[in-house]
Amino acid sequence: MASDVLRRNNVKTFGSGNRPMLFAHGFGCDQNMWRYVAPAFADDYRIVLFDYVGSGKSDLSAYDAERYSRLDGYAMDVLEVIHALDLRNVIFVGHSVSAMVGVLAANREPDRFARLIMIGPSPRYMNEAPDYAGGFERSDIEQLLETMDRNYVGWAHFLGPAIMKNADRPELGEELTQSFCSTDPVIARRFAEATFFSDNRSDLGDVQVPSLVLQCSDDMIAPNFVGEYVHRHTPQSTLRLMNATGHCPQMSAPEETIALIRGYLESDSGA
Amino acid sequence: MPDVAKARSASAILDALPCGVVSFEDDGTIVSINSTLSTMLGYTANEIEGRHVETLLGTAGRIFFQTHIYPITRLHGRAEELFVLLRHKNGADIGALINAARRDFGGRGVTDCAVMEVRERRKYEDALLRAKQAADAANTTLRLRTGELEQANRKLEDQAVALEQHQHQLEDQATELEIQSEQLLAANDELMARTLELEHARIAADDANRAKSQFLAVMSHELRTPLNAIGGYAQLIELGVHGPVTEEQREALDRIMRSQRHLLRLINDVLNLSRIEAGRVDYAIENVRISYVVAAVVPMVEPQVAAAGLTLESSVDHDLVAIADREKVQQVLINLLTNAVKFTPSGGTLKVFAERDEMTKQVCVSVADTGIGIQADKLKSVFEPFVQVDVGPTRRREGSGLGLAISRDLARGMRGDVLATSEEGVGSTFTLVLPSA
Repeated sequence: MASDVLRRNNVKTFGSGNRPMLFAHGFGCDQNMWRYVAPAFADDYRIVLFDYVGSGKSDLSAYDAERYSRLDGYAMDVLEVIHALDLRNVIFVGHSVSAMVGVLAANREPDRFARLIMIGPSPRYMNEAPDYAGGFERSDIEQLLETMDRNYVGWAHFLGPAIMKNADRPELGEELTQSFCSTDPVIARRFAEATFFSDNRSDLGDVQVPSLVLQCSDDMIAPNFVGEYVHRHTPQSTLRLMNATGHCPQMSAPEETIALIRGYLESDSGA
Repeated sequence: MPDVAKARSASAILDALPCGVVSFEDDGTIVSINSTLSTMLGYTANEIEGRHVETLLGTAGRIFFQTHIYPITRLHGRAEELFVLLRHKNGADIGALINAARRDFGGRGVTDCAVMEVRERRKYEDALLRAKQAADAANTTLRLRTGELEQANRKLEDQAVALEQHQHQLEDQATELEIQSEQLLAANDELMARTLELEHARIAADDANRAKSQFLAVMSHELRTPLNAIGGYAQLIELGVHGPVTEEQREALDRIMRSQRHLLRLINDVLNLSRIEAGRVDYAIENVRISYVVAAVVPMVEPQVAAAGLTLESSVDHDLVAIADREKVQQVLINLLTNAVKFTPSGGTLKVFAERDEMTKQVCVSVADTGIGIQADKLKSVFEPFVQVDVGPTRRREGSGLGLAISRDLARGMRGDVLATSEEGVGSTFTLVLPSA
């Protein structure tokens, strides 16, 4: 059963440390997004990478539309990976939506987690008047979903002939898969719905694990207000504002990201 | 060519391209934009350069840029054929297809983006998307409809099967009915024939019965006249009218007279029966208080009861009143009691009692004995004329064997009946049933 989960979630482990460091990718990509950050911890930690079912090179046949219609389904992926490898004292690094997936998983089984590192977290992407500014209106999210749909059209249009040629050019399929982190655009659209319509604000107060919130500058997906909100409502949390801009500091500013994580883990409040 | 001239030349070429071109650094800062794109979005190049690339995008476009375009170009160096919504300066959304490639520019990443407005292409995509949505909707509808149809179909099939079964049943029933009809017709024919036969037989039987009754009546009369003569002359002789009578002669006369009386009683009975059967008996129906009848009957049979060494007990409720002919009731009870005396060994007990059956509204007057009883299979035949229960040669009783037959006929003539129950060795009970008042 354990090996089933490892195959299903395309789990990769490396590193010479004992303490496990589990990296969870966000919406729109896969474990590749950690390629500039994860190796930096390989000397001191046991690095665990994985793809959520429906993303990257996970087993698409294991995709269950019902289970993955809510972030709880993704949290179960995290816990199942943890159990499959029997990980304890996990340092969980979650990007974007995975920060909240980590919160849900840690609230279910706090004993398994030592730290949560949340990069660009948002417990609620939509604005909730009068006192919560998530950053988006429902119409924005609906337009995003339409964009996803359109890319499905383009993707299908683009991929159609390629798939037909796949038999004699298998590397083409591989290349296409890699060129689009989310393997299946229909699944990606559902992931978008699960992500952008979720509301995990009430889960923050239940967190029993010390956490680090990494907040980028000018992150339109998770604005400063949101990062501060997460910090304010999560017990034992530390907030670090980054120089990095955008939503993907692990790619745009890997050094800063590494330094902040390392600094946190090595400080008193960290390890 | 000097660098500046080279740059100008490159810029002129970019501006001349039919598609938009924009280059930005990893942090999103726009390095350059061609006039095709800036014009498309309502800006001048100067307004745009130095600003964040997200300026060119709507909100959804920014999310998609952050979650897809940026990671893909960062990780794979290029992104192809991605749809994104651009934002015109005036706020209008412009759909565009982008191809992006990231290159290293002096240690910094720069992404070059070719932007193609997809208004034209989008028409087809819209059509395709609508077709896809319509297809999805149709598919959903189809699935639902298919489900409904399948269900309806299953129902229809079930109904068809049920109907077929029903039809088979109906056919079977029709066949059966036809057969039955034929059978009924045949039976009817037969019945009519039988009815005719029976009618003939009944007429013949009635004729025969009437003839028998007439014969019996005539014969009884013809027999009684000489018998009366025999009895009368025997009495005269016994009285010494024709001279002294010796003891031996007297004994002979006794026998003659006993035999004459026996014969006379027999003939009377036969005559009675024949008259009853011939319907020549008249009934004087009235309210008959049973206790009175019993009170009148008991003294009449008491001598016989005492002579046979029996005890007679009677207990009849004064309230019981039957609708009957008083004399006939009396006659029946005498018959029943006489019978009981005949078949009850010395020391036995006879009981007369009566009760009202509320259900049938009948009065039941019973005579119970502690006699020899009657075998169950012979119980019915005791009502047949001339039948006496065979109790062995030593127990042969006198009597015509007509008493019960007469009693029952009389009872039936009063819309009643005589019933019998018996247990061998314990006793018998004969019950006269009459309509209650």
